Amino acid sequence: MRRITLWLFSTVAAVVLLFSYRTSTNGGGPASVAAVAPAAGPTTSPDAGSPSAGSPSAGSPSAGSSGSGQTFTGSVAQTRWGPVQVSITVSGKKITDVAVPTYPSENGRDVEINARALPILRQETLDAQSADIDTVSGATVTSDGYLESLQAALDAAHLSG
Amino acid sequence: MTTTARALIAAPRWWSDLAGVAAGTSLLVVTTLWVGAGGIQNADRITSIGRLTGLWAADLLLLQVLLMARIPIAERAFGQDRLARWHRWAGFSSFWLMVAHIVLITLGYAGADHADVLAELWDLTWDYPGMLLAVAGTLALIMVVVTSVRAARRRLRYESWHLMHLYAYLGVGLALPHQLWTGADFLASPGATAYWWTLYAVSAGAVIAYRIMLPAWRNWRHRLVVSRVVPEGPGLISVYLTGRALGQMPVRAGQFFQWRFLDGPGWSRAHPYSLSATPHGGMLRITIKELGDGSARVAGLRPGTRAIIEGPYGKLTSETYGGGPVTLLGCGIGVTPLLSLLGELPYRPGEATFVYRARSEAEVAFREELEWFARQRGVRVIFLLGPRGDSWLPARQADLTAAQIAPDVARSQVYLCGPDAWTAAARTACRDAGVPDARLHTEVFSW
Repeated sequence: MRRITLWLFSTVAAVVLLFSYRTSTNGGGPASVAAVAPAAGPTTSPDAGSPSAGSPSAGSPSAGSSGSGQTFTGSVAQTRWGPVQVSITVSGKKITDVAVPTYPSENGRDVEINARALPILRQETLDAQSADIDTVSGATVTSDGYLESLQAALDAAHLSG
Repeated sequence: MTTTARALIAAPRWWSDLAGVAAGTSLLVVTTLWVGAGGIQNADRITSIGRLTGLWAADLLLLQVLLMARIPIAERAFGQDRLARWHRWAGFSSFWLMVAHIVLITLGYAGADHADVLAELWDLTWDYPGMLLAVAGTLALIMVVVTSVRAARRRLRYESWHLMHLYAYLGVGLALPHQLWTGADFLASPGATAYWWTLYAVSAGAVIAYRIMLPAWRNWRHRLVVSRVVPEGPGLISVYLTGRALGQMPVRAGQFFQWRFLDGPGWSRAHPYSLSATPHGGMLRITIKELGDGSARVAGLRPGTRAIIEGPYGKLTSETYGGGPVTLLGCGIGVTPLLSLLGELPYRPGEATFVYRARSEAEVAFREELEWFARQRGVRVIFLLGPRGDSWLPARQADLTAAQIAPDVARSQVYLCGPDAWTAAARTACRDAGVPDARLHTEVFSW
């Protein structure tokens, strides 16, 4: 085999192998959702994998109410770094708890950012009792997804207005 | 004079300022987009700056692809030697910015994750979207840069170096996914998205159009074939070529092509040769000196052999000449483009001086042609013969000034061509004789 053929073949082979690696073809998109979806949370709805963002019917009151409230789960908001899903616990027209069962945690960076941002967003939601809250700087993408899903959950609980 | 080349207007000198400002503006736009997307964020200063260096590196990387895309207007305005110099500068700058980007992002992410740097680098490579590709792209670019450092470049054959240089395209391509998927700024706003996609599209489009499509079309249209091969003197061979509709080819005296002759294995290596005669409707002529790098094969070319060209390139042309005195200074094989210029420049009898530097009487070629120009067009032909001294002149005439050799030089348009060191020395001599840079025309071939 001539040297140029060897180089050409090696290069093509290397590129093919590179593109067969999991991070090389999906940009943290839907393909990585499955691995993240069954995250901790009181009421992860099993249809998290089917993104129905924006549709008002997405929020579904769950049968199992935790403690003294009813839980409403927002739609899955697809963001650039992965899906975000919010569920709220409502007791007597008041949001008593917020959980984020699904959020981008594909890599260390996402985990780190969201570990900082989600508690802030949760606290802001409990204080404001609405989706009228500030985004967290440095976590704009997660914040936007959070707000979208939160709004869907509020709509489902007939709390927005 | 039977030149049928289209009249090309000279590129104004402010064009190079414009090019510099355009490059600066693109860096400024990138910076502005970065500021718009958050700029320096207090929580993550190192990462923010790392992103900026990455964006600059990407910008310069694409600009240097554009610089080498053989865009006709840029070739004509600046010349390939100048573009190659800028390309080299942009390339090394981009490389060091890329190194800074990698170091800063790794440190920044490691700091935020409270991880150690090596673990973070490992995590970045294997877990972040598109990052394994980016690492491979980085390796390709490192190879390109290492082989282009002057010391390494000199040890490599031009063809090997050139083939390795093609990995730069691979590097640029492999860097794209991580900019889309992991990079926070690339798609941060509609403006940023539009800017980056436009730059990528224009770069890729220019390469495809001007490095692939245009040469392919030109070869298909003109179908150059060797007509005859004539020895000119010791180690000098002229090749005459014919083709279809050569009068329509936008080529001028003083320009060069990259040549490939389909004469068997090894044909794929291109060589740059200048035209050694004024191109006119039916024929092109190149003259080649045997340098032992495959150029000797030319002697064995058979009539009818196909020639594949890229070009014409080069701005050592008559477009800057508006009449009046003209001085052409050539050394060795460097006289070839000047010889073709001699046929195209519209000087009057007595206005042109042709200075031919050669080591000995035996090495002088084209004697008959030069005599014809002296007789028919009133060209003053001066030979500077003798072994090399320290200057651009033969050792025994070393104290002559340019004005003593060519009395009109200070008022002339001056065209220079020869080996690098000789050209540089002759250029200095002309400057000393009072020739302003605007009237000194050279082209460097050994890049």
